[in-house]
Amino acid sequence: MDVFGDEAFNVPDSTDWLGTPLACLMPVEQAFRCHVCKDFYDSPMLTSCNHTFCSLCIRRCLSVDSKCPLCRATDQESKLRGNWALREAVEAFKNSRKVLLEFARAPPTVQAAPPDQSGPSSPSKRKATEMEGPKEEDPERKRPRRSTRSTRARAAELTAAILQEEQDTTPSADPDYVDQPPDDGLVACPICLTRMKEQQVDRHLDTSCPGSPQAASKRRPIPPQAPPPPPPPQQQQQQQQPTLPSFNTRLTSQTTTNQRPPERLPALAYSMLRDTALRKKLSELGLSTHGSRQLLEKRHKEWITLWNANCDSSRPKKRSELLRNLDEWERTVGNPGTVAAGGGGGQQGLGLMARAQATGAQIKDKEFDGKAWATRYGGSFGDLIKQARKGIKRQTLDGNGEKADTKGEDGKEDITSAELPTLQAREGDSSAAPTPMDIVPPSSPSRPGQMDDAGTEHNGQAPAKDAIAEDTAMREQVIPGTPDKEQWETSHQPPIPGDA
Amino acid sequence: MSINVAQRRLLQEYRALTNNPPEGITAGPISEDDLLHWECLIQGPEGTPFEGGVFPAELKFPNDYPHMPPTMKFLGDIFHPNVYPSGLVCISILHPPGDDPNHYETASERWSPIQSVEKILLSVMSMLAEPNDESPANVEAAKMWREKRSEYEARVKASVRASLGL
Repeated sequence: MDVFGDEAFNVPDSTDWLGTPLACLMPVEQAFRCHVCKDFYDSPMLTSCNHTFCSLCIRRCLSVDSKCPLCRATDQESKLRGNWALREAVEAFKNSRKVLLEFARAPPTVQAAPPDQSGPSSPSKRKATEMEGPKEEDPERKRPRRSTRSTRARAAELTAAILQEEQDTTPSADPDYVDQPPDDGLVACPICLTRMKEQQVDRHLDTSCPGSPQAASKRRPIPPQAPPPPPPPQQQQQQQQPTLPSFNTRLTSQTTTNQRPPERLPALAYSMLRDTALRKKLSELGLSTHGSRQLLEKRHKEWITLWNANCDSSRPKKRSELLRNLDEWERTVGNPGTVAAGGGGGQQGLGLMARAQATGAQIKDKEFDGKAWATRYGGSFGDLIKQARKGIKRQTLDGNGEKADTKGEDGKEDITSAELPTLQAREGDSSAAPTPMDIVPPSSPSRPGQMDDAGTEHNGQAPAKDAIAEDTAMREQVIPGTPDKEQWETSHQPPIPGDA
Repeated sequence: MSINVAQRRLLQEYRALTNNPPEGITAGPISEDDLLHWECLIQGPEGTPFEGGVFPAELKFPNDYPHMPPTMKFLGDIFHPNVYPSGLVCISILHPPGDDPNHYETASERWSPIQSVEKILLSVMSMLAEPNDESPANVEAAKMWREKRSEYEARVKASVRASLGL
């Protein structure tokens, strides 16, 4: 029952630290995780009782119970406040988690620390540089912090200014570095002139000395096991930029949030609304208006929860993505036809129809992300096209004679240009007047030759694909009985509306 | 496979239970196709008539877990005031918030999304040790536990031995 072999099931957990030398990080990681979803805080929000949860989690909790899950104090969604400092902390921890865990799990490579690292050769000089270092760094360090709250324009200005400063100061720093060796407490390699601690010179000459004097700019790569004393601040920054997600990334992520302040949706007093009014509200939001009164209310509530939680996010999702989330919710939690223990085999026809309509509405949406849709279902589209082509091939061959089976298997991939028009013509036919034969999915048992191919392909793919295949089949079945035929036809456009 | 909130959270809990198993408890999904259906084994707490027994039970989670609690059902015979003859467990931690048909539970005892499988099973273990006879699910057991404790203990011990095939 070891499900963690599968990548999709492999969820990181705070207990991953157990058994490593860094087991003390387990409570640290726990502190970064939401009590409700047990995952890392996503848009953490503070309640009136000073507890913190993911925005989506606490909004769902409050919509169920109106109480804080931890202390059961009564609270309201409108009183939630963002906990952005925690958000940053969580992001930072998440980013460093993998490296830390790898480090913790790696077998302890006891690299005997060279004695010079602990005991500096000329304590007074070293101390002097250490004292100097932080003092000079201060103004540089403060700058990014101040700028996190500035607009993008100011940020850009600032970055330019810093870069300018670096250019200005670097050359002037170099002569210091070369001409006044005693300042840094180091000595130069007699061959390549790289500066290092006295004790390291011998080892350097034996191992890593390139053999000729290096240009000033190439002086940086000093043997890795010997961390150099704090270099002048501007150089340190240059060095760090490629490796660390420095203030620049932090800055941009902050400024993008300032770009578009999304508006939260107000909650509705459902008891005050008639069915028609509620339907109107839903259609104004571009949501499906099908289902029972109870489902309508639940759907509206869920949408508001999703939407408002998204407003708290530092990286808000697109509307189309939220609609997808709503669709997923409707299929699992929202649909009363499915019972708790995943035994949702017998889904109700009404729910299916509503789902088809919801998908249609989603595709018609202006902000619909056609590209994402295409990539998400690319595999299934490919499969369907393949199956359709095979079906055509088979039918053409069937017309020719009885030896269809062997030939069909051989030449299934190469559809000649002569056959393509036939395919298109047939597709045109079927969409104009769907007959029962066309509605039958191509992998149905009535065409035995294809069963194997279809079966193996499905096994190789993610289960989500089956869902869309089923979705498509289901939509096909909706056609004849759908009251709203126009809507159906518009929604049944070619798979990638963005390209149409 | 797209994983929704309930499934992801259950995976998380399963992970934690495997990495750091609590004493006397084993639990996990029966198959990876259905993460909402778990099986668990609970050891009878020491110093109680249930000592030495291992009790299998199943947990069924709703689609809106953790906002709603799962249900728990013992798969074997268990004679206890808070377990229905069908095996269904009746303890306050498994009762959804805001719903108190018995009017004896304080809200703080009931389900909250911060609870977990581990906490449920620990509660059930302590329930085995200390039955709550205020709202008995098995009236016969409750009555016997209250009035003829030694008879109750003997019966439980006998059923434990029987379940172990002794």
